[in-house]
Formats: sequence, C-alpha cells, structure tokens
Amino acid sequence: MTSIGARFRTIPTWQLTLGIALLALGFLIAAQLQSEGPRVTYTSQERAPLVATAQGLQAQQDALKAEIVSLRSQIATIEQQGKGSADQVRQLNDQLAAARVAAGLIALHGPGLVLQLQDSTNPVPPGDNATDYVVSAKDVRTAVELLWLAGAEAIAVNGERVTASTAILDIGGSLLVNSAYQSQPYQVSAIGPADLYARLTAEPAFQQFLRDRGERFGIRIAFAQPPDVVVPAYAGTINLRNARAVPSGSPTTP
Amino acid sequence: MRRRSSQLSIALVALILGVLLVVQLRSQNPGGGLEGLSAQELTDVVGNLNTRNEQLRTERAQLQAEVQQLAEAEARGENSVGQLQSDLLRIQAWSGLLAVSGPGVRLTVTGPIPGLAVEDLLNELRNAGAEAVSVGGIRVVAGTVVAGSGGAVSVEGTPLGGTFEIAAIGNPPSLTGSLTRAGGMMAQLRATLPEVELVVTPVDRLALPATTRTLTPAHGAPRL
Repeated sequence: MTSIGARFRTIPTWQLTLGIALLALGFLIAAQLQSEGPRVTYTSQERAPLVATAQGLQAQQDALKAEIVSLRSQIATIEQQGKGSADQVRQLNDQLAAARVAAGLIALHGPGLVLQLQDSTNPVPPGDNATDYVVSAKDVRTAVELLWLAGAEAIAVNGERVTASTAILDIGGSLLVNSAYQSQPYQVSAIGPADLYARLTAEPAFQQFLRDRGERFGIRIAFAQPPDVVVPAYAGTINLRNARAVPSGSPTTP
Repeated sequence: MRRRSSQLSIALVALILGVLLVVQLRSQNPGGGLEGLSAQELTDVVGNLNTRNEQLRTERAQLQAEVQQLAEAEARGENSVGQLQSDLLRIQAWSGLLAVSGPGVRLTVTGPIPGLAVEDLLNELRNAGAEAVSVGGIRVVAGTVVAGSGGAVSVEGTPLGGTFEIAAIGNPPSLTGSLTRAGGMMAQLRATLPEVELVVTPVDRLALPATTRTLTPAHGAPRL
C-alpha cells in the first residue's frame, strides 16, 4: 500500500480516480455490512443452523450427483472401449447405450419449449387462500403431464430430469423434485416435436389450466422456444431393492 | 512503468468493486430460497436431503466398484459380458423396458376418479420409494399419463373403467404407510372424492409388464 501511496503524490489524477473508487468501495462495504444485519436477525435462532445444514446438504447432493453422472459416463466409456471384438460384447454395448438414453441417464438436446411458472403477484383478497396464489407441486406436475400428453419425449424441472421414479412435492411454498430443493421460477424444459407448443396450447386441459391458475389466481405462466432445448441426465439412484428384472422371453407368472 | 503498475492497481480496485457490487445486489435480492421456510419445513428439507444423500452415496459406491471391476477385467484382458448384462438388466428394469417382479402393494380404485387424482396417488407411491408401478396392467414409465375426467380416465389410450388396480413394487410397509397415513393422499382423496373407494393390500409378489412405449427419443439427440 505504501508504494502505491507514494506514487499517488507524483501523479495526482490517479490519486483522484483511486480515491473515488475507494470511496465507492467504502460505501459498498458499508451497505453490504448493513444488509447482512437484518437478515441475521430475521433468521431466528433455531432456523439459522437448519438453513446452514440444508445448504450444506444441498451442496453435498450437487457434488454427489455430479460424481454419479461422471462415474456413469466413465463406465460407459470403459464398456465401449472394452474388448469389443466379440459380437456379444458389441451387441451388449449397443443395447446398453440405447437403454441409457431411453432411461434418461443421458442428457438430450433438441427442439421443444420451456414453460415457466411463477407465483402470483396479485394481492390475496380477504377470505381467499394464500396458497392458491403460489405455484404448487400439483401445478408443476400438471404442466409436466400436459407436456407428456402433447408429445414431449424428455422433460426436466429446473434441471431435474423427470423419470419413471420422479416425485414432485410441496415443501412450504417451494418444491422437491427428485428430492432436490427447488424454488421459483420453475422452468419445465421439454424436448418434443417441432409443433409441441401448438399441440400443448390446443389441449383443452391446458387451456383450462391457464384459466384456473393463470386467470383466476394470477399464477404467471410463460413460454420460451429456444432453438435448442437441453434436458440434463438423471443424476439420482437407480433403486431396485425389491424389483427383480424379468428378462424378456422368460415366463411370467403373476 | 509507473503508469502500468498504477493501471494495474486501478484495475484491481475496479475488480474488487465489481465483486462487491454483485455480492451487494445478490444480498439485496435473496430470492425464494431456504430463508423463507419455517423451522418445521426446514427440518423436512434436511431430513429429505439426508435420506437422498445416503441413497446417492450408495449409488456412488456401487458405481465406483463397477468402475474398478471393469478396469480390473480389462487389465486381465477379459471381456466384461457379465457386468454388461447386469447393467443392462438394471437399467432396463428401472426404466420400464423390462418386466419386473417383487413385493409391493395393490391399490384397488372404484368409482369416478379423475386422472389428476390418480397421478397424485402415483406421485405419492414414487415418493414412498416405489420402484415400478402399473395402472390397469399398463406399466407407468416417463411419459405415461393417466388422464381424463372422473369416470372416463384412460392410460396410454386404454380406458380404465369403473374399477382398476394400481400395482407398485417396493417395500410393502413403506408403501402402505405412506398411502394410509393421517392426512396422506388416501385421506385427502376420501375427503374430496367421497364416492371413490380405495383399498390397499400388501402383496408378496407382483408381476409388472414392460412398457409398450418407445422410450427412444425421436426428436432429441444425446448430448455427450
């Protein structure tokens, strides 16, 4: 600092520039410290450690998911490179690659749309239920179901792939998707035919959804049609503790 | 020389300023994050995250073991047919491409239930750890929707009729407990749809068919 300070005296314009910048910096630090204050007091004593725990666990979960996705692609790579001379191995590898795509273990990209749901900003009239003005798990599930019916072939909610085992639950005005905590805006990304948007909006059930939730309660429903929609890979467990595969061709007795 | 080093220091200050500005703007707008939840809700989130992370650690351990086995097999010059086959079966069974069997519950539904209510039940079963589900004998996979108004529900274009069964493979006590708990999905449906009858039965062995859907994407391409 002293060496910089010494140079200030020789060229005063820098001194001025730096001075102004430092002044702004000081203001920002002060503002920052002030804005930290109320948040800390707002978080009551029992909630503060819970928020910290939840954030820590969420960070762990994100890291675990990234590891799982990376391990799966590592396995796929090793398997593809494996002693692939034998026809059987080559055939199995092809089947595996196809099964991984079908199961949602591989990210997809393609045409489609993104449906965004946000809480209402309308004032809640006396006597009305405030939860009706908030995007619920049921709203997001309805959006997902309507997109499937309109012909979507891959869907993610805030980046969480919707699979055969995905549950979408309410948690105090926010959501759990694949057990991952998500808050609004909720973006439902869907890959499907080029006319997915036209098909969706032509559905009477979707028009009713817009009336029941958009018009009636002011839930904000918006669309985007990016040229390329990305639906990430499912990063969760493939949990089969009770179910046993019945290979095709083997007899099934109920 | 002097000019350069002072430019550098101004750049440094500008950088710090920029970072602080961003931090400041972010803290002004905390967004709908965890801060908005009550202590009870936070406890639920923490419980849920704990369970989930435990499952993810198990999955990671399994995958790590698999990577090692594959690497060892390769080092020995063996092919990995066994590993490939078990992988394939697991993925196909989980996604619905293969028929599966196992213990679980059978939920008999009678009466004019709307599709959305059936979807609520399916969501509840998935949350309770159901590993495979079928409705009216049709396997439920990603993309399967039970739709229609009360009395006219169908799945994959097949009408379900007045009485149908939902079958779910999983731990029977967990599945039953989750459905029948006080304030749970069955209690809610009984309150809103009194004319619909729901009966849950734990079953030692259920057999669910494979899906008839094509799960191979026709519009999306793998993003590697």
